[in-house]
Amino acid sequence: MAPVGTYDYDLAVIGGGSGGLACAKEAVNLGAKVTVLDYVTPSPQGTKWGLGGTCVNVGCIPKKLMHQAALLGESIHEAVAYGWEVPSLDAIKINWPALTEAVQNHIKSVNWVTRVDLREKKIDYVNGLGEFKDPHTLIATLKNGSKKEITAKNIVIAVGGRPHYPDIPGAVEYCISSDDIFSLGHPPGKTLVVGAGYIGLECAGFLNSLGYPATVLVRSVPLRGFDQQMAQAVTSEMEQKGVVFHNKCVPLSVEKLETGQLKARWQNTETQERGEDVFDTVLMATGRYALTKTLNLEAAGVTCVSNSGKIIAETEQTNVSNIYAVGDVLEGKPELTPVAIHAGRLLARRMFAGATQPMDYDNVATTVFTPLEYGCVGLSEETALARHGADKVEVYHAFYKPTEFFIPQRNIRNCYLKAVALREAPQRILGLHFVGPVAGEVIQGFAAAVKCGITMEQLMNTVGIHPTVAEEFTRLNITKRSGKDPNPASCCS
Amino acid sequence: MSNAICKSLRSPVRNLASLKKAISTSLVHNETILVRNNEEFINKVMNNDKPVIVNFHAEWCEPCKILTPQLKQLIEPLTDLDLAVVDVEDNADLVHTFEVKAVPAVIAIKNGLIVDKFIGLVETDMITCLINRMSGKKKEGT
Repeated sequence: MAPVGTYDYDLAVIGGGSGGLACAKEAVNLGAKVTVLDYVTPSPQGTKWGLGGTCVNVGCIPKKLMHQAALLGESIHEAVAYGWEVPSLDAIKINWPALTEAVQNHIKSVNWVTRVDLREKKIDYVNGLGEFKDPHTLIATLKNGSKKEITAKNIVIAVGGRPHYPDIPGAVEYCISSDDIFSLGHPPGKTLVVGAGYIGLECAGFLNSLGYPATVLVRSVPLRGFDQQMAQAVTSEMEQKGVVFHNKCVPLSVEKLETGQLKARWQNTETQERGEDVFDTVLMATGRYALTKTLNLEAAGVTCVSNSGKIIAETEQTNVSNIYAVGDVLEGKPELTPVAIHAGRLLARRMFAGATQPMDYDNVATTVFTPLEYGCVGLSEETALARHGADKVEVYHAFYKPTEFFIPQRNIRNCYLKAVALREAPQRILGLHFVGPVAGEVIQGFAAAVKCGITMEQLMNTVGIHPTVAEEFTRLNITKRSGKDPNPASCCS
Repeated sequence: MSNAICKSLRSPVRNLASLKKAISTSLVHNETILVRNNEEFINKVMNNDKPVIVNFHAEWCEPCKILTPQLKQLIEPLTDLDLAVVDVEDNADLVHTFEVKAVPAVIAIKNGLIVDKFIGLVETDMITCLINRMSGKKKEGT
């Protein structure tokens, strides 16, 4: 038995995803001896994946690739208006196996590079499901059932989350989730997406654009927590593209028919009216839950757990001084890869380099990759109004027309942006919101500006790049308060 | 479509099957060494009398699916040079030892020593040049 004070490792990280790996690699750079535990429990449909976490395997990466595939499909059609001679447009269709193979090949290459990188940095990787034995001891259960005991001075919980299934008949047996869609062994066909958070909308969006009719069940509102005016623009665009929305509806049951198809039943919670339809695939996107249940936190004395199972740790430190948490597992923090990575690195520096800088979770930019994307940073209009009062807030807004949309006659009705600012000069900007093409690329730079405390005066004095869609931020001049028409007169003036 | 062709190289079983086919059609062909572990590497590559071109390969890598068959085609007919294929997923130790950070990676080994290396799918000229040098052939012209 090791003498008190001597541990196998300086740091043990449970979870080899965005947060866990960033923390582990930074710790090793600072001279710590580190081990990473990673394990993927197969989804109800049996899907599993390699090292790298949600983002790499069943999140951001495959999502963006499929979104890109969908956009490229639309581009082929638009190209005709620009003069490209595309032989028989009707014959243009997606080859689902080819798409999933290309996406999975990329993911596997990332899994491999990740493993090579860990080995290179001398981080011990254990492919086992970790749980606590005591505050400094973990037990990892490997695939073959054998157990490995690991002791560490510091432990970081970075286990992330998994899709939640509603408690209705047929959900677990017949439905898939985002865990399964990116490697689905057969084309999804006509799909029902249950849930209108960003995962549900993004999936419904790319599936529809790829040629698989999509229907979305919205329990309350789309993109709850996001600026609702912008959420409406996003869903309007999706409807215009053919996605069917059933608002205020909750699923009742999913049954498998003799044909192999699935019959889904739902109910409108306001009118009590019931609806049903037959689909090839039903995708559950009804939220994600933190994987803390299997950790045996009690054995470590960690008690700062919320009702939803997430860990409450304002500075990433739990109530047990040597146990920390980072990433999606944290309560009340944005569930985003860059947030987990940044927080993981800062945490490692505080643990091993005597640093004091805490993670700043405010003004984190994000983008929803629906067919027409929505990028934002800072407060939603609702939050700004609630926090400061309508009198102290000024909202500048505008519709705009991307130059490239004219020739193929693309719909511009939902191309809209706004800046939410304090009313008092110099009008510090509280939030920026943009619905349009390449929204993520547009908003990223502005996130840095918001961090610097950019004001409307500074924004309006910034000269735009022409012709771009991002320049529309520099052209903002009409306030909601004025009641003036926010539609553009013409470009270049 | 290239994907249809690549599918035939997907499983190791199919790899062996295609190798068997190569052997049965011509007796002068050298069989490609399929390295499955460190021991096989030491015995068949490091201790080989002949120089060996070692090809680090991955099934999920598109350029590998072009390079590996190309190497087989060029090297199998030769009697004084061998080809060894190392699947990076099955041979983590070798990947680490030879510091392979990207695939495809080709390392030329003579008498247990690394004499050349290239990464990525390079021009056919560079490949044939390397093969000629390793098999002791003098390149005509240039």
